[in-house]
Amino acid sequence: TQTAKSHTGRAAEHSDNSHLALQAKHTEQHEGRLYNIPLEELSAVFPHGLPHRFQQQVLTFNEARVMVRKPALELLAYLKGSNFSHPAVRYVIYGERGTGKTMTLCHVVHYCSRQGWLVLHIPDAHLWVKNCKELLQSSYNKDRLDQPLQASVWLKNFKASNERFLQEIKTQKKYMWGKRECTEEGRPLREVVEQGLARVRSASDAVGVLLRELKQQSHRGSFRLLVAVDGVNALWGRSTLRKEDKSPVCPEELTLVHNLRKMLMNDWSGGAIVTTLSQTGSLFKPSSAYTPQELLGKEGFDALDPFVPIPVPNYSPKEFESCYGYYLERRWLQHEKGQGWGGKRGMRVLGLELVSSKWAKKLDKLNTDFCTHRDAQSFAVPSVSLQGPRTFPPCASGLISSVCPCTPRVST
Amino acid sequence: MAARAGRCCRAGLSCGALLSPALLSPAVLSRAPATPRWGRAAFSSAPAVSGREGPQAREGSVRRRGRTLQFVRSAAPPRTERMAVDQDWSSVYPTAAAFKPASVPLPIRMGYPVKGGVPPPKEGNLELIKIPNFLHLTPPAIKKHCAALKDFCTEWPSALDSDEKCEQHFPIEIETVDYVSSGTSIRNPKARVVTLRVKLSSLNLDDHAKKKLIKLVGERYCQETDVLTITTDRCPLRRQNYDYSMHLLTVLYHESWKTEKWESEKSEEDMEEYVWENSHSQKNALDTLLRIKASENVSNVTKEELLASEVVKNYRNSVIALKNEGETESNISQYKESVKKLLNIQA
Repeated sequence: TQTAKSHTGRAAEHSDNSHLALQAKHTEQHEGRLYNIPLEELSAVFPHGLPHRFQQQVLTFNEARVMVRKPALELLAYLKGSNFSHPAVRYVIYGERGTGKTMTLCHVVHYCSRQGWLVLHIPDAHLWVKNCKELLQSSYNKDRLDQPLQASVWLKNFKASNERFLQEIKTQKKYMWGKRECTEEGRPLREVVEQGLARVRSASDAVGVLLRELKQQSHRGSFRLLVAVDGVNALWGRSTLRKEDKSPVCPEELTLVHNLRKMLMNDWSGGAIVTTLSQTGSLFKPSSAYTPQELLGKEGFDALDPFVPIPVPNYSPKEFESCYGYYLERRWLQHEKGQGWGGKRGMRVLGLELVSSKWAKKLDKLNTDFCTHRDAQSFAVPSVSLQGPRTFPPCASGLISSVCPCTPRVST
Repeated sequence: MAARAGRCCRAGLSCGALLSPALLSPAVLSRAPATPRWGRAAFSSAPAVSGREGPQAREGSVRRRGRTLQFVRSAAPPRTERMAVDQDWSSVYPTAAAFKPASVPLPIRMGYPVKGGVPPPKEGNLELIKIPNFLHLTPPAIKKHCAALKDFCTEWPSALDSDEKCEQHFPIEIETVDYVSSGTSIRNPKARVVTLRVKLSSLNLDDHAKKKLIKLVGERYCQETDVLTITTDRCPLRRQNYDYSMHLLTVLYHESWKTEKWESEKSEEDMEEYVWENSHSQKNALDTLLRIKASENVSNVTKEELLASEVVKNYRNSVIALKNEGETESNISQYKESVKKLLNIQA
């Protein structure tokens, strides 16, 4: 049938994507298609930063496939054409919940790391302003507060992804850690990071030193710097942390946030700053807020201004069909009676709402056919509303026995 | 049972009329006309005698209840059947009165419909009786009222034939309410309230004075209609309240023209709308542009030149639109385009 043919066609597209491995060649014609990231590369580039659902999908399917979408293509085009002697341009990715902002950011991060940039990826700035068990008074500046745990976790992940740069870049100043230890001038940055990891108390200061060094040296041209921050509205919002006397902590009183804010200013050149706004995880923001001014507030907007806003919409019909076809191919979506997918009856899926009306009518018809022949067996597919990327795929733990992606069946 | 019915009958004819259907013998029922018992001559305002003189002469049926004879009068046809189409309605309802189904010749239904049915008809419909009606204020009735009041009125000045002219010559509107009640006293404390309405566009105010006046009056000013409303009721007499409201208007006008020393401390939070000059946005844009020029080794570019350039003006307009009008898709895309031009980003 027609549906069967289109699905096998798409299967061929997905498995045959080796030519898309060179991401630099992504253009508009690749829009809607999924490209593969090898798993070793994934753990090297993304020690942190991938959305949780995507990580589950990677575990389930044993491969990482990222869809090429318009906002990411737009950003990549800007990055390719940007002038690195000019001050760093700030890009703010915004959109409603679950539309793929973090995935767009990850796509850009992957591209930049493939191109040999130094990627400073802060996976979620919200984690730095809430749920912090330990707050130490900073030794460098008495008014500020250190967060040793968060800083050390971030340093560990940063080291994992940028080993070679840390060896090459040298410090330009002598730094004193406490009374006895110091890092001399001209030592590789790796020592600063290791100092931060070894002495957790000075981890936040190590992060500050790292950011300062990178900022000062990026204009030389020996490396390109990408600052990627997810949930940047956390830096100018409110925090739920409290000092010992129960008074609330402003974000600027935290060393990590203070240093990151300085990094996001456009007074350095030789790179770019790509950020994402996120309402999920934000504090004291209504769930309907998604536009830059609503989430950043006046202070944040004034700090980031002028920036290039990049909207991320929900899946277009073409993207939806591509994603849907991918899940069919990977046997994530199945139907009852086990007749082999893409069989004569076509696909029957229960309880899905769709974006494209053509699909809606088709599946409505199939759905009603199915409902009249309903079995007592529980159906494998949970009822989800397919309006955006986040609803795909459902939680891996929810589908235990009926989905078996690792044993591909030959379709008849 | 008959004795009980007899006792009820002594209470009033109405009671008996209600009970009688249950007690009537079938023979008597067939003789009496099939009209609802409760629409009887006992309730209608028309005298019983005139109701009888219809095209059909109906005999009152006679029933025996206990030892007394009772005349069961049959229901008269409602008055609506005898109403002409061009009758004088103001004589049917000269004053405010309850809804009388037999006097209103309209097929009205009101109430919650029975399942699969229609709302109940007007006969005996309590819902229609409960609600206030304006059957006494139809346009012809009001015309008659106006004609009666005309003798007490003076003529409207012919020069004021449009709303704009009225507003131009008489910008201030005073609203007072008079209260009439049936009682021994003509006084009503609510009558002292005076409401003064004026459009700020008709007052001679410059920009600073208008903003100051709006801040002074606060809630009393409506942005959409540009109307200032002052309601005074603190004095016991209407005339005093009127004088006070005029005094308030005068004071507001003169005070808003004055500029105090502390007004120079007006900060960004006090501003009514976003002003781009001397804002963070302007500073950031200028700093960025200066850095870009420095990186290209172009010197001697002054701030004024930059501010006067096309890209900066475009950027300024888009930021002002974004801040004042809020964020819409078009605003954000306009801002994006202006930033791209400002920073010279090519795709």
